[in-house]
Amino acid sequence: MSELEHLAQLMEEGNAATVAEVTQQLLNAGMAPQTILNDGLIVGMGVVGEKMRTGEMYLPEVLQSATAMHAALKLLKPLLARDGVKPLGKIVMGTVKGDVHDIGKNLVGILLQGAGFEIVDLGVNVSPAKFIETIEQQKPALLALSAMLTTTMLNMKTTIEAINNAGLRSKVKIIVGGAPVSEKFAGEIGADAYARDAVKAVGKVKELLAVAA
Amino acid sequence: MKPSRLQTVLDCSPADRVPFLPAIYEHKAWFVKDTPSNVASDVDLFTRAVLAEYEALQPDALTIGIDVYNVEAEAMGCEVIYYDGDDTSIPAIGTDGAAFTEEDNFSTVDLPDPYKDGRMPINLETARNVKRAIADEVPVRGALSGPFSLAANLVGPERLFMLTVTNPEFVKGLLFFASEAAKRFGEAYIKEGCGVVVFDSQASPELLSPKMYREFVLQPTKSLIEHFHKLGVKHVPLIIGGNTTRILSAYLETGANNILCDFSANVDEFLSECSERKRAFRRNIDSTDFLAAPASVLHERAVAALEESRGYPGYVLGTGVVPYGTPLESLLAIRDAMFEYDNKLSRQ
Repeated sequence: MSELEHLAQLMEEGNAATVAEVTQQLLNAGMAPQTILNDGLIVGMGVVGEKMRTGEMYLPEVLQSATAMHAALKLLKPLLARDGVKPLGKIVMGTVKGDVHDIGKNLVGILLQGAGFEIVDLGVNVSPAKFIETIEQQKPALLALSAMLTTTMLNMKTTIEAINNAGLRSKVKIIVGGAPVSEKFAGEIGADAYARDAVKAVGKVKELLAVAA
Repeated sequence: MKPSRLQTVLDCSPADRVPFLPAIYEHKAWFVKDTPSNVASDVDLFTRAVLAEYEALQPDALTIGIDVYNVEAEAMGCEVIYYDGDDTSIPAIGTDGAAFTEEDNFSTVDLPDPYKDGRMPINLETARNVKRAIADEVPVRGALSGPFSLAANLVGPERLFMLTVTNPEFVKGLLFFASEAAKRFGEAYIKEGCGVVVFDSQASPELLSPKMYREFVLQPTKSLIEHFHKLGVKHVPLIIGGNTTRILSAYLETGANNILCDFSANVDEFLSECSERKRAFRRNIDSTDFLAAPASVLHERAVAALEESRGYPGYVLGTGVVPYGTPLESLLAIRDAMFEYDNKLSRQ
């Protein structure tokens, strides 16, 4: 097993301290940060996503892996910036107004960071006005909206309508997700895409922003 | 005293019709044209809201609860966000609202006092008022947080999920502590002549594996339900949302009756397992588009759900959580479908 395959396997096991330690060892041995990220961490997280889809892994294990990814990214991010690796795009994300759930959103944020995107996370219970203000200031390529409840998912619609009314809709792609959200609902409220889980979200975002997978 | 329709169905005995239990929590506030934050914090508003719900929909049981997962956790120090003015968002425990960490020793933490702490007294007084108003026309049940959901609020959901892997013994202890807290709140409802309903959707297999459900949640839940059985509550509903087909066997092992077969769960498996063990279940129709869908569509959805029951006597028709502001005609359309179905059966 190669060192990078080993790292990918450690990602599945989700021990943050070990993943960070091995990442540091690979850096010390002269491996390029982007290689570690693409061929070790992201590969491992892809397996985690697949196992989640097939019911071999559940949220607790996926959170462990995401935390491990986060720990490794802390080491890699300054080095990627030093090497001139530009983010693939800027993404603003948040859980819509009235909803304070953030586990899914945080997972998506970590995976998108891992995939090379810059994330501006507005947190939970975010008002349409706050999303608009941030779009105007940050000029993201994409907005990711999350909702966990059947009652709060309707605020995704309100948010998209407000963005429309503010004349910003053509400037930003919008992806939505969360337990009660569906492809059909995403279409009905005028989102550009829906992702049913965090791993799918990365693929959809890449598609929307025409970034090579 | 003649058993209620719901009681009869929970005994899996033939009743005059299928009971109707729409899941109305925050939407209770709509019936008194107020907000969930206000109604959840005021006995008078809360009482009027429950009675208005009863008058409008005539459900086969009433549940005392608006923001059902917050009450015990708030009573133990977790911080609930309430919304001002005409904001109809549901009160919730924020991301920084957890009151405990894994450093806390729960064997030394006081259980909440249902007559003193947080909004528990508001909920109990509402239950008392509603019982006084409607006597035994339909069962009145107090909403309780199940062990996993309460534990998730106490230490934070993400933290709890992580701890199931990193510190399973702590999680096991915490869940038994949470179960004891729910017992205490439930006892107070029972003293008011009410039943109880246990809500534990954070333990859904959408999030937690069936193996973890068995390892962590089953025993404290079983202990909770056995406790209420010993206090004379024959049927203790346990509500776990999402597709619970994968934990159906453990779900039944909890001892709960009137378990939830959410719209995404496999109704055939529920029919098969529940009829074998003489248990009742509530089949929910999808409520995600209740605000937008025409009443006729909801009527069709209810008819389809009733057809699925194939006349099983332990079948209860319910809905997913009804969003605040759902038109009354939509809920009545679902109710009408139930009456039509019963008329159809009686003609056969």
